Amino acid sequence: MSASLPSLGYGLGLRSEYYQQILEQSPAVDWFEVISENYLVQGGKALYYLDAIAERYPLVMHGVSLSIGGPHALDTDYLKQIKQLAERIQPAWISDHLCWSRGNAHQLHDLLPLPYTEESLYHVAGRVRQVQDVLQRPLVLENVSSYVRAKADDFTEWEFLNALAHLTGCQLLLDVNNVYVSSRNHGFDAWTFIRNLPPESIRQLHLAGHMDYGDYVVDTHDHPVCDPVWALYQQTLEHLGPVSTLLERDDHFPPFEELLTELSKARELGATALARRALCA
Amino acid sequence: MRLTDWQLAFEQHLLSETQIANSGFAATLLGGPTLDVETGLAIYHNAYLSRLQEVLRHDFGAIWYWLGDDEFAALTEAYVRRYPSAHYSLRWLGERFAAFILEHLVAGQSAPLAELARLEWAFTLAFDAPQGQPLTLNDMAQLPPEAWPGLQVTLAPSVQQLLCRFNTLAIWRASKAESDFPDSQALAPAHICLVWRHQNVCHYRSLEPAEMCALAGMVTTGWNFSELCSALAVTFGEGAPLQAVTWLKQWVQDGLLQRRVP
Ligand SMILES: [Fe+2]
Repeated sequence: MSASLPSLGYGLGLRSEYYQQILEQSPAVDWFEVISENYLVQGGKALYYLDAIAERYPLVMHGVSLSIGGPHALDTDYLKQIKQLAERIQPAWISDHLCWSRGNAHQLHDLLPLPYTEESLYHVAGRVRQVQDVLQRPLVLENVSSYVRAKADDFTEWEFLNALAHLTGCQLLLDVNNVYVSSRNHGFDAWTFIRNLPPESIRQLHLAGHMDYGDYVVDTHDHPVCDPVWALYQQTLEHLGPVSTLLERDDHFPPFEELLTELSKARELGATALARRALCA
Repeated sequence: MRLTDWQLAFEQHLLSETQIANSGFAATLLGGPTLDVETGLAIYHNAYLSRLQEVLRHDFGAIWYWLGDDEFAALTEAYVRRYPSAHYSLRWLGERFAAFILEHLVAGQSAPLAELARLEWAFTLAFDAPQGQPLTLNDMAQLPPEAWPGLQVTLAPSVQQLLCRFNTLAIWRASKAESDFPDSQALAPAHICLVWRHQNVCHYRSLEPAEMCALAGMVTTGWNFSELCSALAVTFGEGAPLQAVTWLKQWVQDGLLQRRVP
């Protein structure tokens, strides 16, 4: 089996801490992922650097507040701004999360899990279609880390993602770390999750670190990637073939060189996994 | 339970003061082998509050420094419970913080603190305001002599004006320098402080009353340059045009002005 979507290679999350270095040093990063909301502003430093970096690197837009599974109406003004930003920087694709982040009354600013029920599936599928109609491109949705799940689930998370991709034509951002975190928290097999996703829908991978409390794991994006996640990543690439890979870091920002070193590690481990895949083909 | 009811219960859990969830809602959930439902719900509850507080620590660093960790945490918790976030972007979370301080704390304490909050918020507004088309010294040099008398200007979009009744700027500077705080003092008279962005860097400056009147005459009342000169003649006599040019040059150099479109 093989992923049919072309790979951009190895990317990093664009964070303001590193703007200046990126412009000065033109580091060997294949692409950057930007948090869309940070650039839905009218002026200032963030847009200045975004435009400059967009001239030099391929970009991908990653949102955190679409709230595709939320109980509220979709925010059409937000979508319009996302579309305008996309016209400005021409991202290779636009992603958000399979979650809800806004409640009935307020913005909750968290990637909250959905019950994986038929009701949720049709609710989300309808909204994905609406978003794709506005953006005129497939929406890419990421699996989130979770700490509780609903008793009412009709599906596993991977069955839900599968069904959603088939119903709407949306694509998937497979966060390998989130699979690992949720598998530890809920007691499922991480590889079963990954191997049951539709390979042809997987647009991108995420790698990140987390906090391991022993009895449970919290997705914090403030540590280097851990060994079990690296192993899972290699297994994933061996299964899928080349897929755009992004290293996320959202807190405890290390010197930029350290992130570049970790990205090189992803490249090396990725190359080994792809070589194994070629041998076994 | 219907999806919307379940989400409503989840939302109420995040917004409630205690991290122990309503038992009816908890009964709809499953934990894992070593993560029970209560702990899982507590992770979401803590993450909600701490994420919002982190944003406020970033946007109101001087208030945080002034109050210290515990008092700042208590104040910001009360704030987000009273005014939960209404905008998809956390960038707007602190919009009502200054007003909340006035309604939440006793008057003696709240006025200087609210003024400091307003100053810090002004920096966030200046930071990502539209760029506009600020006048440059080069634009001025190219202005034909006959265009000077009728020249009209407005403030560039990033410029924020604050009325300071306390020594808020001194307190703000002390917090930036992480040095000792001056005592809070009322200023007599109050002065105006401008906060704006120029070439992607935020600046601030407090203005003497005479300069403020001159600037307000142009950008608010709509005086043109020759009206500014006549107004200044009352105080500066023959020196009025020179004073007008000096200030105008300063404002342009600072990136405060743009051309008023008639
Ligand atoms: Fe992720």
